[in-house]
Amino acid sequence: MNLDLTVRMGGLDFRTPLLTGSGTFGYGDEFLNLIDYKALGGLVTKSISVRNRPGNPPPRICETPGGGVINSIGLANPGVDAFIESKSAILPLNLTRVFLSVFGETVEEFVTVVEKLETISGVDGYELNLSCPNVKSGGISLGGDSAAVGEIVRETRAVTQKFIAVKLTPHQTQVAILAEAAVKAGADALTMTNTLVGMMVDAETRKPLLGTVTGGYSGPPLKPVALAKVWQAAKAVDAPIWASGGIVNGIDCIEFLLAGATGLQLGSVLFADPYAPARIISEMEAYCVRHGVNRLADLVGALQ
Amino acid sequence: MNRPVAEIGQVTATKQISSGLWDIEVYSPKIAVQTRAGQFAHVRINDSFNPFLRRPLSIGPIQDGKLRLIFAIRGEGTRLLSQKKPGDAIDLIGPLGGVFEIPDDDSALVFLTGGIGVVPLLLLDDQLPKRRERVFILGVRSVDSIPVTLDEAEKRHIRWSSDDGSVGFHGNSVQLLENVLNGLGSRKARVIGCGPGKMLAGMKRLCQEMKIPASASLEVPMGCGVGACQSCAVPRTDGKGYLLVCKDGPIFDCNDVVIEPEVLP
Repeated sequence: MNLDLTVRMGGLDFRTPLLTGSGTFGYGDEFLNLIDYKALGGLVTKSISVRNRPGNPPPRICETPGGGVINSIGLANPGVDAFIESKSAILPLNLTRVFLSVFGETVEEFVTVVEKLETISGVDGYELNLSCPNVKSGGISLGGDSAAVGEIVRETRAVTQKFIAVKLTPHQTQVAILAEAAVKAGADALTMTNTLVGMMVDAETRKPLLGTVTGGYSGPPLKPVALAKVWQAAKAVDAPIWASGGIVNGIDCIEFLLAGATGLQLGSVLFADPYAPARIISEMEAYCVRHGVNRLADLVGALQ
Repeated sequence: MNRPVAEIGQVTATKQISSGLWDIEVYSPKIAVQTRAGQFAHVRINDSFNPFLRRPLSIGPIQDGKLRLIFAIRGEGTRLLSQKKPGDAIDLIGPLGGVFEIPDDDSALVFLTGGIGVVPLLLLDDQLPKRRERVFILGVRSVDSIPVTLDEAEKRHIRWSSDDGSVGFHGNSVQLLENVLNGLGSRKARVIGCGPGKMLAGMKRLCQEMKIPASASLEVPMGCGVGACQSCAVPRTDGKGYLLVCKDGPIFDCNDVVIEPEVLP
């Protein structure tokens, strides 16, 4: 059997539904000889902001019992101008589709960054990060407000014809309201979801395990939360959903497809297993053989 | 610079050296052939994603395609690693990070190590030309927590210091370093350190006072190991943000990064 892995979203064809999650894959060059790009439909870069952001004080990462991880990187990036000058040339544009993650503290900052990034040719689109838990302004505070979400997407849409995905927070219980606001304003896809705010304490030293005390909780324990958000968003809007949260194997991917996702983001799993994309493709293929599925896209939203 | 490779190695021997300290040998020829002293391997504990992250372990002595990895049990990951048996497969990415850059001059080298911080210096000890003069200091809490056997230490002319006086110099390793540096008189010296943050902070202060060049190999919590996630940041001394242990390090000139116990566990 020849399984059809392709998916079509927002007018773009993807050879597989797998994407990398923002912040876990740098700008695509670091893993160059460790990863099989053929397994990836696309990559999402680390977020790019108007100005250089040095990032948060360390420690920036810790594990949690039950196989989770909490990070507090703080959107470290060189800023859009330095990115265009020093990093844009390393983007693996000929290997896979590339989406630039964009972060702003205000509507104007989102628009400015996207306008500048429009000068890079060969990029497929953007993912607007409206949900970072590790910054003081912007991030969750902006992304939890449906009026702000709508305005950011609308203003960004006005300066680009390219694909726009919007990454939403898991902290808003009214998923449908945010999802509808983003799609109505012109989003091509919604990423469900960013990390949850979490913290860890060392009882012996009586100190937090992260320099910023709280951080973004990810990994397999997040999967049930992300599944619920994907399912709720998929019911609310017609736009494709990019699932993000706790995917480590092919069965996780199948579950997210059934819940309504069309794209599947691999995030922290890449830290543990950089070869995850190729492994996950073969695990999905094995599932499809067992279930007589010829076209992976047929599983999207097929929850019974 | 070398490109890291992924390799499924095979455990060939395991040995408990002292309380909570293990020495395992892994046949990993592709990584072994490329590794230079100072680099590390990113070691996957098992395929269950629990614990989730790999463990960055300094690569110790290499022989016939086999790497020696010496580690202390600090939590669940290293506890599971200590239970590996000869024949077990082990998933490694390496070699990662930079190497000890030793200028080819007539300075006397002083290795200041604490606990398992000794590991990368064991490999440097092997890879340096025999004629290059070196003093090798290894500080431990007590003889019950040694990371290498007394026999191996003797063969390598390692000078012990212990907090309780049970082996070697009675006192901390930075005090012994000061004695050694004073003993060198007007000889040019260069200090290379690896170990606990408190020790490295003391080393940096002493070397700055004595105007002796010093570099340190640092260990901090790490994510991907290849520079993508930016988890393993250490503050730059010039205030211009951070450097990454996995990519810019793990070896830094002590003048370039903040070395304080609060930053380094």
